[in-house]
Amino acid sequence: MNKIVNWAIGALLFAAFSLSAHQQKTAISTVLFNPRTENIEIMHRFRVHDAEHAVKQIFGKDADIIDSKKTQNQFGEYVNQRFNLFASNQQPLPLKMVGVELEGQFFWVYQETTQPTTLDNLTIRHDALRDLWPEQVNTINVEGKGKLQTLTFTDSIELLKLTFKTQ
Amino acid sequence: MFKKFITIAVLSLATIGSANAAINQTKGDFEDKFRQLDESLPTPNVYRNAAGEPGHEYWQQQVDYKIKAKLDEEKRRIEASQEITYHNNSPDTLKYLWVQLDQNKFRHDSMSAMTTTFGGIGNRGPATSTASSSKPAQMSLGALRRQQFTDDNVLGYDIQAVKDNKGKNLKHTVVGTNMRIDLPVHLKPGKKVEFSINYAFNIVEEDAVSARSGYEHFPDDERVGGNDIFLLAQWFPRLHAYTDYEAWTNKEFIGRGEFTLEFGNYDVELTVPADHIVSSTGALQNPKSVLTATQRKRLKEAEKADRIVFVVTEEEALENEKEGSNKSKTWKFRAENVRDFAWASSRKFMWDARGHQQGGADQPLVMAMSFYPKEGGDLWKKYSTEAVIQTLEVYSRFSFDYPYPVAQSVNGPVGGMEYPMITFNGPRTELQDDGSRTYSQAEKRFLIGVVIHEVGHIYFPMIVNSDERQWTWMDEGLNSFLDGVAGREWDPTIPWGVEPRDIVSYMKSSTQVPIMTQSDSVLRLGPNAYTKPAAALNILRETILGRELFDFAFKEYAQRWKYKRPTPSDFFRTMEEASGVDLDWFWRGWFYSTDHVDISLDKISKLRLDTKNPDIDFDRLRQEELDKPMSLTDERNKAEGQDLWVERFSDITDFYDENDRFTVTNKERNKYKKFLKKLKPWEKTALERAVKEDKNYYVLEFSNKGGLVMPIIMELTFADGSTENQYIPAEIWRRTPKAVNKMIITDKNKELVSVTVDPRWETADVDVSNNHYPRKIIPSRIEAYKRKKSTRKVSRDIMQDIKTELKEDKDIKKDDQNNDE
Repeated sequence: MNKIVNWAIGALLFAAFSLSAHQQKTAISTVLFNPRTENIEIMHRFRVHDAEHAVKQIFGKDADIIDSKKTQNQFGEYVNQRFNLFASNQQPLPLKMVGVELEGQFFWVYQETTQPTTLDNLTIRHDALRDLWPEQVNTINVEGKGKLQTLTFTDSIELLKLTFKTQ
Repeated sequence: MFKKFITIAVLSLATIGSANAAINQTKGDFEDKFRQLDESLPTPNVYRNAAGEPGHEYWQQQVDYKIKAKLDEEKRRIEASQEITYHNNSPDTLKYLWVQLDQNKFRHDSMSAMTTTFGGIGNRGPATSTASSSKPAQMSLGALRRQQFTDDNVLGYDIQAVKDNKGKNLKHTVVGTNMRIDLPVHLKPGKKVEFSINYAFNIVEEDAVSARSGYEHFPDDERVGGNDIFLLAQWFPRLHAYTDYEAWTNKEFIGRGEFTLEFGNYDVELTVPADHIVSSTGALQNPKSVLTATQRKRLKEAEKADRIVFVVTEEEALENEKEGSNKSKTWKFRAENVRDFAWASSRKFMWDARGHQQGGADQPLVMAMSFYPKEGGDLWKKYSTEAVIQTLEVYSRFSFDYPYPVAQSVNGPVGGMEYPMITFNGPRTELQDDGSRTYSQAEKRFLIGVVIHEVGHIYFPMIVNSDERQWTWMDEGLNSFLDGVAGREWDPTIPWGVEPRDIVSYMKSSTQVPIMTQSDSVLRLGPNAYTKPAAALNILRETILGRELFDFAFKEYAQRWKYKRPTPSDFFRTMEEASGVDLDWFWRGWFYSTDHVDISLDKISKLRLDTKNPDIDFDRLRQEELDKPMSLTDERNKAEGQDLWVERFSDITDFYDENDRFTVTNKERNKYKKFLKKLKPWEKTALERAVKEDKNYYVLEFSNKGGLVMPIIMELTFADGSTENQYIPAEIWRRTPKAVNKMIITDKNKELVSVTVDPRWETADVDVSNNHYPRKIIPSRIEAYKRKKSTRKVSRDIMQDIKTELKEDKDIKKDDQNNDE
């Protein structure tokens, strides 16, 4: 797998879209502590244009993020495998795949898990697309537990930790 | 106690941050969100006045070029000589001139190369990432290829001679991507100087280095050795701009901050292989020597055609790319009043054209043209030139008639890049196994979107000549706003993305910098310099000023600065001055700060007017008392069948059992009469009318949680089911930016049941859950998703899918397991 991905990178960089900002290689996610459901809800927002190029690299030329349910689910599973939440005791929280959704220029991936009874801090790993393109920047807003906190995954950052102040 | 201490510390930091001016709020925590911007903007002067207009002594330099260049296809090299005439229109005497040597960015020892961080953010081009706990350091094959390419090729300018017009050598000093030329005679105001530069450079392979130009190689073409498409930009030593606000704008070219340039006239002769087709800035001067009679006839025909006419057809291009030529041809172009010059050359190009008859005195006919190889295919035939013309129509409505004779879209290795009269655009078709070429709907959107965006740049910044090296947002933000307008007019069902809601997650995040940040220092360039300013202008147009005022002011800005060089303050001042609306709070909030919008409606209280008339008020008080729920003890006593003492013994009751404490006596009535008598006639009239109308008085309590002040837009819903919208200008926050109360008065029969703030999501409010009173449960995306579980088919490559053969039932069972649905 690793080898394939590496080869894919070479083929992919043929176009630099940065000037017209079409393929931005950025994703933004919300980690929401939802008081109603008592779940931690994770909503990843990818740009369709990024995801479209990514799936062709990962799953082959026939992959189609826009039309193929199979590709959409594959991509969801790909994200699922590259995103983890670790609770205070270093244990990963079991994330459940909720679904994926295409909305206009964005592709959404949803996950959730039950809120642990006590949680002083949270460590997050978010490698989606970053294993594919080193320049991918993933931003996460953590909401619903104290003041909003933003984490940015860039460069070689693999894990980011945030602490929650006891009120 | 500790907590309090922290709050204070944070506040004083915020005060320091906003106080780069001398004025300083040192008592309390009041922040003047409406403080006028004058102290932050440069002082108006004779060159740029207080209205944001070019001042009465506005000047800019002019630089004219005569260039003769030869494309060596074999060596992929440009050899050229140029004569430059520099007109000093400034009031200053110049001892030296500064020239931009952009090609030097690709040298090993350039500042760009030396400061590229390993695995850093914000670099253009191939990427790397440093080692971390679980994986070794990564370098993409792209980064390796770039490194190998720069190893194998000598890159950067080879400056062979710099001479004055008598052929005498001029002293010149290369400083990175800049070159200083010392003038033997100081150049006085109003004078001009002529000099020449002979130079050469090896063209970079765009795919290898991710530049804004370069060549792309097609090894699989039938011709032995394959073919190339050459895109040439930043291909000649260009004068740095000399300005009234920064003098020489000779900031090193690191890669992201683009270009700051002077206008001038160009006469350019391009010698290329005889079988190449050239697309270039400017009007072709010698069609008879480079085009066939048929091609010239087709071009003429295209001027008045309803649909595109092929000047070079696909068949002709395919035939052409099969073999080469030893001969060469020289294409001559002339371009007037442009700030740059770019061109493209290949034997692979087919060429279509259609005249855009825009009328007017300046340039009634504009030739919209596209150049693309077979790899662009039907996608380009159908949409490229069409999108060029649509862009001209929409942008001209917002600014001025397109002033140049041609507007072109060229397909090559660059994703999207703009130059005067010519743009480079990347989208292509996909070659299928059956030999046909198809494209997905997403690729179609990409093509239309990128052509609109890049052709739009011919207006901003190619004509409204903002300083790209300093401010990316001035051209990218304005242009992204307008490409959204044009895109929606093309087909609103395609998501174009300047909706306020799309910028919300960026604006609430904590890792961002103000829009007013120098280009090379911006973090997260896409949302910062493209999306946020575009969304802000969209809000300004649709919500704050309205279309009439916005469009008038925006057009005024475009026309004032057509062929001139605006700065951010000129934009801010013009929009404000021409719309007649104070917008300093808007610029302050959206462009100078990292605040976001989050207005919360916390509470609504209903008030009732005291009539002072005891016969009315006492009755109301009695009713209020009765409306209270009965005491639980009393109720249960009653339920148990207890008889009250006063009921059991009727003889112990008296007057007070008949008359409650709300009984009105003449004492109160006399007091009321006395009160009325003391009222002045107008006071009495007002009171009587209010009592008669008995309106509903509501007090709405708002708090501003995001910091950015914005208008409060409300939808009021009444008991009778009707709704009404109210708009409160942002100025309501001027004295208390954190919280405000607002009274709403409605007719007696209009009883308010609920209020929604920003019901159309037009202000980029990041938290809509506090926009409703009474509070409404706003489902999170996941909750909403679980409810609908629907998928929408936005686009499919139907051109390919339609070839799918219908399967027999038995086959379907077989591949049931891995079916796509």
